[in-house]
Amino acid sequence: MNDDVLISCQGLRREFTVAEGRAGLLGSIKSLFSNKTSVIRAVDDISFDIRAGEFVGYVGENGAGKSTTIKMLTGILTPTGGRALVNGVVPYEERVKNAFNIGVVFGQRSQLWWDLPMSDSLDLLRAIYRVPQARYHESLAELSDWLELGPLMKMPVRKLSLGQRMRADLAASLLHGPKVMFLDEPTIGLDIIAKDNVRRFLKKINKERGVTIILTTHDMDDIEALCDRIIIIDKGKIAWDGATARLKSDHMQGKILEVEFHDYNPKIHEAVGLTEMKSEANKKWLRYRGDGGAALNEVISALFRDYCVKDLSIHEPKVADVVKAIYQHGAEVGEDGGA
Amino acid sequence: MIENVGAIKNGVMARSKGAEEKLFDALERFPALSLYIKFAFKAFQRQLAYKFEYFVGVVNGLIFIFIFTSLWKNIFSNSQATESVGFTTSGIVSYAVFAMIIRISMSQDDLGVMGKIRTGAIAMDMIKPFNFFGVTLAENVGGTMFHWFTRAAPILAVCLIFFDVSLPRHPVNYLLLAVTWILGYLIYFMVNWLFAMLAFWVIETFSFQLMKYGMFTLFSGGIIPLDFFPDFIRPAVAYIPFMYILYVPTASFIGHISPAEALGFIAFQGVWVATLGLASVVVWRAAQKKLIIQGG
Repeated sequence: MNDDVLISCQGLRREFTVAEGRAGLLGSIKSLFSNKTSVIRAVDDISFDIRAGEFVGYVGENGAGKSTTIKMLTGILTPTGGRALVNGVVPYEERVKNAFNIGVVFGQRSQLWWDLPMSDSLDLLRAIYRVPQARYHESLAELSDWLELGPLMKMPVRKLSLGQRMRADLAASLLHGPKVMFLDEPTIGLDIIAKDNVRRFLKKINKERGVTIILTTHDMDDIEALCDRIIIIDKGKIAWDGATARLKSDHMQGKILEVEFHDYNPKIHEAVGLTEMKSEANKKWLRYRGDGGAALNEVISALFRDYCVKDLSIHEPKVADVVKAIYQHGAEVGEDGGA
Repeated sequence: MIENVGAIKNGVMARSKGAEEKLFDALERFPALSLYIKFAFKAFQRQLAYKFEYFVGVVNGLIFIFIFTSLWKNIFSNSQATESVGFTTSGIVSYAVFAMIIRISMSQDDLGVMGKIRTGAIAMDMIKPFNFFGVTLAENVGGTMFHWFTRAAPILAVCLIFFDVSLPRHPVNYLLLAVTWILGYLIYFMVNWLFAMLAFWVIETFSFQLMKYGMFTLFSGGIIPLDFFPDFIRPAVAYIPFMYILYVPTASFIGHISPAEALGFIAFQGVWVATLGLASVVVWRAAQKKLIIQGG
């Protein structure tokens, strides 16, 4: 294993046993007496290495296994198989030791105390993580400056807005100077300005403090703005893993045509030179590669000639579209970890 | 008005800061102890946020004391048999008053941990490097200190003025109260903890809570002193933890039981603290295992 690998998963697997409910009154009475269960594989043989200083986007649909992976890396869930190592510690075997090394932010939950002023919450965290006074004040001054926490320090956390609360939570997770940070949807529910603040801050601590960050999000703009590397997970398996730049160069050349047809949704023949990415009702999203082949204007006129087109618009491809296409079609693209 | 409250609160905090900081500077060399004391302090402070609640708490307590003392006075004035259980009218009144005050001083947020388990918020505690049982106990102690100052003490003052009760004269009673109260408090905390742990295994814990409240109300001696129970029940009650929570501290304090009897009860309390302490740790270990192995 490489020396500067900070987080490593090898064949990580996690199964959950769920009781099978039966439909109807009779069914629920039956299920009182028999316990038929089924096994769900939430994380299925995941392997990756993350080096110190990387900023990784961990992306997948709801239920794809993102949070399960994060839980195993933070030590609050034991894998069914495989192995994980974070900063030299097996997180689920030494939960407390691991906790000293990592910072965690869950967008949906706060780690601050609801009824306490923010400064008191931070003081409690200082005691929990045993940060020496001098280092604490230095760290807090810096974080407070970056996150503009000054005016919020005396406010009870319950009176903070969501954006302010997120800033406070970010500071809370970094007070003890962790090398690794796990962020689970840190921008969820935030307005554009607050999102932008969070993103700028994350970029800063990644660059200036050298914190290794794993970020899960549904917001592809987060990924595009922040992550050097994307791991896409689908149904518990890695569907794509590589540099964000490579995702762009491999999948984001050319244009996306959004085409609306007159009350039907035809199959587009190959000859037109477009590949279908997504289709719903009488709309299609088609990808124009533009490498060799016909020029864009020819393609469009062919489209108008052969089909009953009602409306057409041309977009630059976005990471979101590519990721969506990967969810839909699976990993037709070769994957390699060495981004 | 709101600004005034803010100013008062800030004033209180600014004043308390000096002493608090000195304490924690002194504790800097004992990080674990310092952490627990800090948690207790903050829990105390957190309660300050809900000012209205403790006024209501004081009024509630006084209403209950009024109801029970009136009830006992009435029962005792209409019956001859009552004296045989060892209570005089003034004795039963002071039992009712002090049992209620001790009950109020011990009131705990027994649904807090359960709520954390049910909503999954316990994950936020699990990612922190501390002992969750210890921290929860420390928070509870802080909350209880708050109850002493803001509820139990004012209610006691009102009762001494307006009800026909008096404090015991002998210092031994206070010493017995201190010991039996602390042990009773620990028993109560751990009973609550164990019932909260059920939430790891069963989704709907309401019926268990109801059972706990029922047993506590009936067998703790908070409402009816155990002396009134029929003979065939009393031995059984001695083998469950509830009477050691309120009956023992109240009866030893008002001198209803002799210091020698109280010492016997203290030994039982000690056994219960040890047993429940062991059970709490074992169950918490199992719960953690369940959480991280089965996924909660």
